Amino acid sequence: MRRLWSIPARFFLEIACVLMCALPLVGAGDDSFLLRGATVHPVSSDDIPNADVLVRNGRIAGIGSHLAAPKGVRIIELKGLHVYPGMIDSATEMGLSEIGAVRETSDVSELGNLNPELRAIIAVNPASEHIPVTRANGITSVVTLPQGAMLAGQGALIHLDGWTWEDMEVEPDASMVLNFPIVESPRLRFFRQNATPYSEAKQNYEQRIRELEEFFESARRYQKARVAKEPGLAQDLKYEAMLPVLDGKVPLLIEATREKLIREAIRFADKEKVRMILGHGEEAWKVKDELKAKNIPVILGPTLELPVEEDDPYDRLFTQPAELVKAGVKIAFGSFNTSSSRNLPYQAAAAVAFGLPYADALKSVTLNPAQIWGVADKLGSIEEGKWADIMITDGDPLETRTEVKQVFIKGKSLELDNKHKQLYRKYLNRP
Amino acid sequence: MNARILVISFLTLATLPGEGPSAFAIRDARVVRVSGPTLEHSTVILRDGLIEAVGENLSVPAGAWVIEGKALTVYPGLTDALSTWGIPEAAPATPGAQGRGGAPPAPGPPATPASPPAAVARGPEDRPSNTSWLRAADLLSLSDKRIEAARSAGFTTAVTFPTHGIFAGQGAVIDLAGDRPGQMVVVSPAGEYVSLTTGRFTSFPGSLMGVIAYIRQIYLDADHYRLTRDMYQNPAGLRRPAYDRALEGVLESPRVLLPATREVEIDRMLRFAQELKHPAVLYGVHEAWRAVDQIKRFNIPVLVSLKWPERAQDANPDDKETLRVLELRAHAPKTPAALSKSGVHFAFYSDNTRPQDIRKAVKRALDAGLPADEAIRAFTLSAAEIYDVADRLGSIDKGKIANLVVTDGPIFEEHTKVKYIFVDGAKYEPIPEEPPAGSGTEKTE
Amino acid sequence: MRLHWMILCLAAGSLLAVRPIPARAASTTLIRNATVLTVTKGTITHGSVLVRDGKIAEVGENITAPADAKVIDATGDYVIPGIIDCHSHIAAESINEGSTSVSSMVGIEDVINPEDVEIYRALAGGVTTANVLHGSANAIGGKCTVMKMRWGKSAKEMIFEGAMPGIKFALGENPKRQGSGPNPFGNTASLRYPATRMGVEDVIRDAFTQARNYEAAWREYREKVARGERAVPPARDLKLEPLVEVLEGKRFVHAHCYRQDEILMLLRVADEFGFKIRTLQHVLEGYKVAKEIAEHGAGASTFSDWWAYKVEAYDAIPYNAAIMVRKGVLVSLNSDSAELDRHLNTEAAKAMKYGGLDETEALALVTINPARQLAIDKRVGSIEPGKDADLTIYDKHPLSNYAKVLTVMVDGDVYFDRDRDIAERPAREARRKELLEKEAQEQKKKPRPDKEQDSKPQDQRRPQ
Repeated sequence: MRRLWSIPARFFLEIACVLMCALPLVGAGDDSFLLRGATVHPVSSDDIPNADVLVRNGRIAGIGSHLAAPKGVRIIELKGLHVYPGMIDSATEMGLSEIGAVRETSDVSELGNLNPELRAIIAVNPASEHIPVTRANGITSVVTLPQGAMLAGQGALIHLDGWTWEDMEVEPDASMVLNFPIVESPRLRFFRQNATPYSEAKQNYEQRIRELEEFFESARRYQKARVAKEPGLAQDLKYEAMLPVLDGKVPLLIEATREKLIREAIRFADKEKVRMILGHGEEAWKVKDELKAKNIPVILGPTLELPVEEDDPYDRLFTQPAELVKAGVKIAFGSFNTSSSRNLPYQAAAAVAFGLPYADALKSVTLNPAQIWGVADKLGSIEEGKWADIMITDGDPLETRTEVKQVFIKGKSLELDNKHKQLYRKYLNRP
Repeated sequence: MNARILVISFLTLATLPGEGPSAFAIRDARVVRVSGPTLEHSTVILRDGLIEAVGENLSVPAGAWVIEGKALTVYPGLTDALSTWGIPEAAPATPGAQGRGGAPPAPGPPATPASPPAAVARGPEDRPSNTSWLRAADLLSLSDKRIEAARSAGFTTAVTFPTHGIFAGQGAVIDLAGDRPGQMVVVSPAGEYVSLTTGRFTSFPGSLMGVIAYIRQIYLDADHYRLTRDMYQNPAGLRRPAYDRALEGVLESPRVLLPATREVEIDRMLRFAQELKHPAVLYGVHEAWRAVDQIKRFNIPVLVSLKWPERAQDANPDDKETLRVLELRAHAPKTPAALSKSGVHFAFYSDNTRPQDIRKAVKRALDAGLPADEAIRAFTLSAAEIYDVADRLGSIDKGKIANLVVTDGPIFEEHTKVKYIFVDGAKYEPIPEEPPAGSGTEKTE
Repeated sequence: MRLHWMILCLAAGSLLAVRPIPARAASTTLIRNATVLTVTKGTITHGSVLVRDGKIAEVGENITAPADAKVIDATGDYVIPGIIDCHSHIAAESINEGSTSVSSMVGIEDVINPEDVEIYRALAGGVTTANVLHGSANAIGGKCTVMKMRWGKSAKEMIFEGAMPGIKFALGENPKRQGSGPNPFGNTASLRYPATRMGVEDVIRDAFTQARNYEAAWREYREKVARGERAVPPARDLKLEPLVEVLEGKRFVHAHCYRQDEILMLLRVADEFGFKIRTLQHVLEGYKVAKEIAEHGAGASTFSDWWAYKVEAYDAIPYNAAIMVRKGVLVSLNSDSAELDRHLNTEAAKAMKYGGLDETEALALVTINPARQLAIDKRVGSIEPGKDADLTIYDKHPLSNYAKVLTVMVDGDVYFDRDRDIAERPAREARRKELLEKEAQEQKKKPRPDKEQDSKPQDQRRPQ
């Protein structure tokens, strides 16, 4: 039944298309323009068909029908296309990790348990191949996070564009990352005995919790001494790094999976009076009312994930986003990965198939993360005054088949070419 | 030296052979023969280690010790159908020799604390984890304290095995008394004990499918070995076959014991046993309640472990157990009843349950519907039949070995006490119930 | 529909927890008024599929339901052939025999676990057939088994009857990992050859040389016997026998590979020994040597868009499948994962985004193409009369991210039904509760003076 494909004409069309995609619709560097005749999806409000978006000096200056282009501002015709805010991946290792299996290319995990002073931003490699690959799918910002034993350091919200990491930074200390300790007794396997006794694992867990609590307590004392300008107080980098967290200026992103640990994490955040964001949260659905009551947002790991328990329904993680939103919990999606960050919108779409309202799905990769990370004044929606972080598509960006035609960050039109497209062109044309 | 002291203390407990009477008569007792209908008000006569007669209105031989059996019940001695009794755990599982036919066993309970790291095996040809030639009969020791405890619980017989490694070695049917280890042996070898233990990932076999492939190859090799050995009876023009004790051991064994607990494993091992073309017995079989038809179809006997599955003592209370596991725990004790109902040949084994706890374990099977007489049969005649020693053990019949247990009531009822035990015609009384200490021989002082 | 299932579940009682019984459909079933994507014979917008005795009897626009037929009204739904995952590791109790560089004596068939919940989850993702492979720890791995997702059936019944047996090979980083220190298992003394791609070739070449010699030894023996001479037969070698089968074209080679050099190496070794590589697995740089792959006639089973997780995956591109398709390679998309196999349909959609395959070409990547790769295409892979009734029904177009699986049939029996699944949940939870309560009661009955033993488990042995 197999036959060799004769090379159809479409084939050349595709090459042409790839080449075209590589060429931006407008000249780079020009951060003032008028997008005209598109369907605009502001996210913060209803869709506007056949609308225009005016961008001046990298910011959105107007949205409406038949906007006049100020003198000298170029007009980009977008008939039949769609304008969306650029998407935000709320958990990645972007720029910190290039090839997962190669330690030398990874700057994600530092030694030690308590490293609040570490800053992800300064280790972001702006030349990472992952950046243009991710950007090509309409993701304009990501939160890149350090990992580690416990207090891993400061995660940064960055733009996926810049000559240096300073160019890229949006919120260099968007969060403090805490990997909440776990009870490390191997899960009961089918007919297999536990390798580590639970009692021992529990002791280890409690020891780590104590360590954590003592550290927060010390940081508080340091804070008091500092406020009181206690003479002779020696500066301490770790405690200094904790001050914005203790002040509630920087949220504590606590990563936890199981119900009990999520509850423990909430108790901990309450006790320490810090602003908590829950990360991962595979069993957040069990804690949804408490999350809502305490106004704790959740950065969900991938929707397309296996259930935690053998007996859990097969769609346990598919339905969780809908359940959380229904309970009033604010959610955003994170890829918790680098190379699959470009698939972020599909995680949101998968949740739509299992009950998440579409509008919430779209928000969970745009406006919600902007609000959670405290940058909703700058990005996350198409609104006047915000940065022109924009993607232009030929359809629904949560659908795989949709093509991203153009991406702007701060009004700058970006190169959508990347390593993958280059290799594609090169080898498609191999004689 | 220590052994000698122990032996002496043993003898003081037992009726001294040679010095005491050579005949016993248990008179007017209830006799559960197992091989036939239970006899009321009957007499059992033992002489010279054998059952001389059983029946009503027998005359008691002159000079025989007489036990008034009114209110007593006589059973054939119980058998632990897969045991390690008589093999102290300290006994080295492997001699030191290495190389083909002598690779050391996979890590498990170490034989000696300072054993050197095991060599890496790269395939079946390295014969890893294989001591198939090792005989329980050669490893017996009377110093194993469990022997006495087992006897006190009504056991007179065990089929005892070395259990370290994949091909652990050959079992022996033993009587649980004797002056010297050799006197305990009824039949040897009684079967090859096989486990499916995997070693490290880096040494063959490092996976379940590796172990299965290994066993399969060993049986093929054994066939070929026998063939070449036989052909070499006429050596002219033939290359001399090498000696391989790993294969010798396999060829000597009358049957192979394969582990299978879950239904999936039972199904797998039934088909595997058939493929090996070697008589097989499955052991474990807690989930056999789901597989009785399949077992029946394959006509392979099974040994039911009396260590019923339980939740791990030190489990994380937040770990949600699967429904499958919960079902297994709830249903496992129903297995014997299901086997019995469908006529599958089965026996029980202690699986390291302390002898004094075995009756409690059996109780759970009885509560789950196993008729008491079926339980008794499983512990006696069925076990003897499975090991092909029913011509000498397993029932109260003339000419069989005088292994009996005498109780003051139905043997598996809670308050029933064992009054006497006869092993090879010698009378023993149960040791007083001690507070439970650690099982096994480790507490020997 | 849901109520109907509820009643069935209650009737099945506690057994459903242990071995769910597939709903034996009426021997005749009509799926009506769906969009039928046949993959090989076009798409019927308002189509019906008639299933009789486990086979597809008829496909068309206007099929009247026979009197005895059960009717599934699929108005607005989409029917596709059951998804075939050409690279899976579910349903097996072990995956890697990594101790040796040639582990062809082992096989998945020996360790099938028909109760692996991943089977059910795969079904719930529309998968009806999976090629369950040995792992990639060694150059020549173990034997593989093609299975149908007949959840609830025995190990033997899981096997796709008549499917050609396979064997796994692996090239590149994985098989050479144990050759270099520090060994992940901490034992530097146990380094295993090979440590390089050169060594991987050597291992394969050496194994097939041995296999040839083995074959020759048997030939010689048979000739001697035929001549009436006395001869000792060679010892059977379970490691070499599968390789002889490969040489004889009786066993398919599924080779894990990444880089173009190693792909080419394997093709050339196979050419030299006169056998074919049936599929190249992962084959993430296949796009660089698509011409050579097509010339050899190997199929390629790849990921949609995984990349950069290791060095040999750094040049992986999501256009890989499309380029290979365009250059004449028979391509499938696989999961290699118990999670990913649940949405291979949307993985296929990525080949439209990256490289511009059309809908049918994309769906073929997870249906008819893997069927052809496994030589089971006469039975499965498309919706055609005479083929097995392995069908997946979605509520939306299967290439949309918003689609979810509603019903999955294998051999005409419904093995997954979303309504049934949802209806069963309360019964399962109730059963769990019941069992836990019973156990708790029994625990209470037992005298356990030393029950509180949180910190000292050994206390249980204390005299009472």
